[in-house]
Amino acid sequence: MKLPAPPTEKSFPSSLHHPRVATVIGRWLGTAVVVCFLTGLYSHFQQDTPGWLPIPSRPATLYRVTQGLHVLSGTIAVPLLLAKLWTVYPKLFAKLPWPPSRKALETMLERASILVLVSAMALELFIGFLNTLQWYPWPFPFRQTHYALAWIIVGALLVHIAVKLPLIRANWRRIAEIVPNSLPPAISGLTRRGLFRTVAGAAALVGITSVGQSAPALGPIAVLAPRKPNIGPQGLPVNRTADAAGVTSVDDNWRFTIKGPQELSLSLDELQQLPQSRSALPIACVEGWSQGGRWEGVRIRDLLELCGAPAHSRVRVVSMEKGGFYATSELPEQFAADPLTLLALRLNGEELALDHGFPARIIAPNRPGVLQTKWVHRLEVIA
Amino acid sequence: MKIRRGLAGAGVLLGLWGVWKLATTVDVHGLVRLPLWLGGAVLADDFFLVPLTVTAGWLVTRWASRPDGHRTVGTIRTTLLYVGITSLIAAPLLLRQGKGPNPTVLPRDYLRDWLLLEATIVAAGIVGYFIASRSAGNALRPATSAVVGRAWRGLRRVRRAPRCE
Ligand code: HEM
Repeated sequence: MKLPAPPTEKSFPSSLHHPRVATVIGRWLGTAVVVCFLTGLYSHFQQDTPGWLPIPSRPATLYRVTQGLHVLSGTIAVPLLLAKLWTVYPKLFAKLPWPPSRKALETMLERASILVLVSAMALELFIGFLNTLQWYPWPFPFRQTHYALAWIIVGALLVHIAVKLPLIRANWRRIAEIVPNSLPPAISGLTRRGLFRTVAGAAALVGITSVGQSAPALGPIAVLAPRKPNIGPQGLPVNRTADAAGVTSVDDNWRFTIKGPQELSLSLDELQQLPQSRSALPIACVEGWSQGGRWEGVRIRDLLELCGAPAHSRVRVVSMEKGGFYATSELPEQFAADPLTLLALRLNGEELALDHGFPARIIAPNRPGVLQTKWVHRLEVIA
Repeated sequence: MKIRRGLAGAGVLLGLWGVWKLATTVDVHGLVRLPLWLGGAVLADDFFLVPLTVTAGWLVTRWASRPDGHRTVGTIRTTLLYVGITSLIAAPLLLRQGKGPNPTVLPRDYLRDWLLLEATIVAAGIVGYFIASRSAGNALRPATSAVVGRAWRGLRRVRRAPRCE
């Protein structure tokens, strides 16, 4: 018995496996990747801020928008990447160039760059999506790997564009093309416009059924989102539970300390006696979900004044949580001085739930949720 | 050519920066396993997901080469594709539901929601199918049907011709 021959580049009759189609889908996928890269960089710099980069505290919902967009465009990139791979699939079976020549070497290098691009992008989308479910089945650290792969993807993408520039240009200029020889669309029902519509529809479908985790109005239909608005203690989802943070209870003689030029120690009662302010600010998680809350508490800048520190001071925030990267955080001066930034004691009209950081937490505008430190018991004025 | 060189050069630099970041922030244990995961991602795409869509597309197109099939094939193909892509995204949600320590992660009944979503897509597909085939019945414009008929006969002739490859 003879095994069927392996497919070759010619085994795929559809006229849609065509460079023009690949160029158009590539443009969409490229846009999604660039949005992911820029919003991802923003998220990175929020958490590891280089000295030369002042991050403003306004607009208050900026991080909510950028990180929501990151996860949305990343999710939409899944159907786009598959569509792109589908259009160029026959190329996978193209003959390797032989005998060796300069041209052959170029072809090999090009294919290597595509291998880098496809593998990094497919893995990036996979680990990114699973991360939003708080599922980390891989043997490497998520954040560092996701960050490094992002640079590799953008690098490989530039190389890819450099290689394909003539094709891309031909597409822009609509240079006449050779009509491929295959089933006419009248029979296969396949037209380019039809394909583009279908792919755009798939992207839209995936987007609409998942964006509700960041845009609560669409929450009810967010059936493909790992988060649902209004679910959680006090109607707000939680990223790290008190249990996971090792904060099981808070005893009655709990005290809050602020160390500046003077050191003050206040009981919860005394904190509640200080002038209280309100801020309507979202929790905007690095995982892309976000939801607004009504917070009440003491302005950080009022606390700074109380302990005799200048209005523009950097502040270290210390939590009672055990270990983890986020047991301490730092409020840059523009955040500490912002009148919206609170040491919050209440959420949505009630005392904070333990999972939301009882007795006191930080809430500031335009910051990722991981830096909105919970279970705060100490502030230290750094400078 | 200058632009292409510049782009390629910048790309290589950015990529190397990424490799450097990997090498300096991920430990050896992770670094030696990363290529396996990268390879796995390519296998999953190029040897499972894409062949699956190619095969499905081929089957659907074959089915569509019966008379009038071309009028409804678009609806069928789109419906299958939407069922596939939404199920792909839903798979991790379904697998992971109820396993994590945090009850506000994956709080929905994802099985029910997934079934509802697929039912909605299929229902929309069925409506689309009937609209497409109805309009086919009513509005057979002579020109179109002539064109289709000719192409269809041509294809059959090709089919019947002995395969000598
Ligand atoms: C080509 C696609 C992508 C690129 C270029 C990209 C890039 C980035 C970058 C540069 C960061 C910052 C990492 C850091 O803080 O060091 C980031 C963070 C993140 N990305 Fe992506 N990403 C992509 C796709 C995705 C997808 C598909 C998802 C999920 C659906 C996702 C989810 C996340 C999450 C949750 C974070 C926050 C990580 C953290 O701070 O803990 N990404 N991304």
